[in-house]
Amino acid sequence: MKRFLCCLLAISAMPVFAQKPDEPARGGATSTTIITPPKSPSTAPSVPLGEEVPMYDPGSEVISWGGKHWNIANQRVFQARFEKYLNAPEQTDADNVEYQKTIREILDLLSPRTATNVKLYQAYVLLFRAVVHDADGGVCNAIANAVATAWQAQMNQNQLALTVGELKKAMQAEQSKAIMFAGHQEQQSSKQSAGKKGSSTVPAPVVSPNEMRQGFYLKEAAAFEAQMAALTAKREVSALQARVQFQALMLQLFLQRRFQHVVMSCHMYRQLFNEGDSSIKVEGQTKEFFTKDLGMPPTVSTLLSLASEAMRDVREGVQAYLFLSDRNEMDSATKRLSESFLVGEYMPEIRTLSRDKKRLALTYSQKANRLVSALSVKDYTQAEQLIKEMEAMAKDFDSTKPRAAVETAKTVSAMHLAKARNAAIAGKSQAVEDELKQAAAVWPRNPSLLEMSGAIFGQSDLQQKAVADFEQLLSQGNLRQIFNDKLRFIAAMASNPDGQEKLKKVLEDMQTIEAAVARAQEFARRGDPAGAWESVERAAKQFPDDVKLNQLRGNYSSEAASFVESLRTAQRLETQGQTGSGLAWYLKAQRHYPLSDFAKEGIERLARKILPSS
Amino acid sequence: MPRRASSKLHPSWFIAVALLAAAAIAGGYFLMSKVNDPYRTINALDVLTYLENANSLRGNIYRVNGTVWNSLGWSPSVGRLFAVEAGAGKPGDLVPLLVPSALNHVNLQKGQRFVFEVEVVEGGVLQVKSLRKE
Repeated sequence: MKRFLCCLLAISAMPVFAQKPDEPARGGATSTTIITPPKSPSTAPSVPLGEEVPMYDPGSEVISWGGKHWNIANQRVFQARFEKYLNAPEQTDADNVEYQKTIREILDLLSPRTATNVKLYQAYVLLFRAVVHDADGGVCNAIANAVATAWQAQMNQNQLALTVGELKKAMQAEQSKAIMFAGHQEQQSSKQSAGKKGSSTVPAPVVSPNEMRQGFYLKEAAAFEAQMAALTAKREVSALQARVQFQALMLQLFLQRRFQHVVMSCHMYRQLFNEGDSSIKVEGQTKEFFTKDLGMPPTVSTLLSLASEAMRDVREGVQAYLFLSDRNEMDSATKRLSESFLVGEYMPEIRTLSRDKKRLALTYSQKANRLVSALSVKDYTQAEQLIKEMEAMAKDFDSTKPRAAVETAKTVSAMHLAKARNAAIAGKSQAVEDELKQAAAVWPRNPSLLEMSGAIFGQSDLQQKAVADFEQLLSQGNLRQIFNDKLRFIAAMASNPDGQEKLKKVLEDMQTIEAAVARAQEFARRGDPAGAWESVERAAKQFPDDVKLNQLRGNYSSEAASFVESLRTAQRLETQGQTGSGLAWYLKAQRHYPLSDFAKEGIERLARKILPSS
Repeated sequence: MPRRASSKLHPSWFIAVALLAAAAIAGGYFLMSKVNDPYRTINALDVLTYLENANSLRGNIYRVNGTVWNSLGWSPSVGRLFAVEAGAGKPGDLVPLLVPSALNHVNLQKGQRFVFEVEVVEGGVLQVKSLRKE
């Protein structure tokens, strides 16, 4: 079947008008039809029967033509045509039944076992009955025209043969006259030779009348012969043209996959042109197609054999489809039907297949086409669903390849999404974008991709708001609020180096504040309110806006009131330039709390003021 | 037979005389010390006023009786700075005294009591003009 498909598809693109005869031989006619490929593609327009014959690779189901490749199982035009057929109702109406009956009658009349000229004429008449049906498409009319043309050519040839016969008789008459005058000339020459011996004074004439008559008759004979040769050549050309036209029609019908018509035209050809060679001489890939691929010479018999084989193959293909569809093996069944349809689109077995039976293949074919489309657009969710449906529908469906494609795409997409997630956590926005692009390229409609994109973009909004909040709190000096919400700000600043630096400074400051608070609480726990106050007071000088520090300052200053009062008085007097009084107050504060750093520092500071060189 | 009166002095007389003598000596000593105290005419420093506004006392000379509490610093060219607890008895206020280098020959140690003649100089600093150990 594959081999036949290869042959048929290769031929199917051959326009019949490319067939042209060789020039008739000058010396005589030849009955061989020659299909000539172009000698040079660069200088002459390309001829389809030359180097551009489409080739079909049965292993990959790919047709190569003109440097392009089509997979017949995934070819839009074929799919569309096949689906149209699957959706069409069966052609079992009275008109089609009548048409098929007529075709069968014609084929019976043309059967080689009982072939006669009378039956040929009856078949010729039936062609005009068949042509009225739509299913015929005017093909029978073309055959009838070709038969009529052949008959006309044969009549012309007979007329020419009669004319040639008359010319031959005339030529022979002239030749006889020439021979007769040649005899008279010979007698006169003998007499003149005898007279010369007596008197040699009278000269003989240069050309005698008999010789001149003989020359005229010979010229007439030659003229008749030339006319006869011209008429013979014309007769041969006429016969050749009729033969070529009929062969072209047969090839055209074969290319149109009208195999019933091919059979009837081949039978008619054999009866019409029963003498001479019936071979079709082709060259180039077309010749190789016949001789190498088919192993047969390009003859009318070959076409007849191919057509018969195609008809048988289509019948078997339809039977195989019905058998496989009954066994729920829709993958193989659909392939067999598509192959049969490709070969025998106009065969009655294909045309009369019921729509209900075809719907099974249609459903499976549509799912297969949708699966191919889903895989081509990388919609793996849809593809996975279709794979499940096709597995349930056809137990012979091989889901290995599509499922592997889906699983691979899912894995790769998930890998890119994981990388994008990690990049988002690390704040690498460019890497996030790149990974999301790659994930989208692998599986554009990945639901996880949409979720992650939404999450990242949502996070981006939250991030922008967090950054704005951070800047506002920072401008307010509200470090504690930033510290309390540090996790949010850490996440928000992940992709913001400047913000990260600011946040780091805030967190370090808050660490200082919290350490001072902890130290103060420890002093207070030991019953040392002055020490506690000093701890928070020192931190408060650096961070005067911290609420907690100010609250603790207030609490501890009341508990160590005299110390705090002495220290603040000392600081006030120091700032007023009251060095002596200030120093005295620092001393007083130190006496209250000997471990006071403030008092110690104040004393040392004022002492250096009094004793500059100490 | 009538008992004859004793002719010896009663011992209480001796005790009284001794007390009077001691009082006389003490009084004399006190008077002598008062008469000989060179700072007796100098006003004692009002520490509270000083603590409130030392600058207002600038140019004045006061007497400070106090105990050396701590040394706050030393400069070979300027002198020594001490914290002196002014007053006696209950813990008094600490005031800084600058003992200039001219008085370097006088040893001042923590716990020693001195009478300082001080002048309130720039910045309200109490600069010792002279001192005497009590």
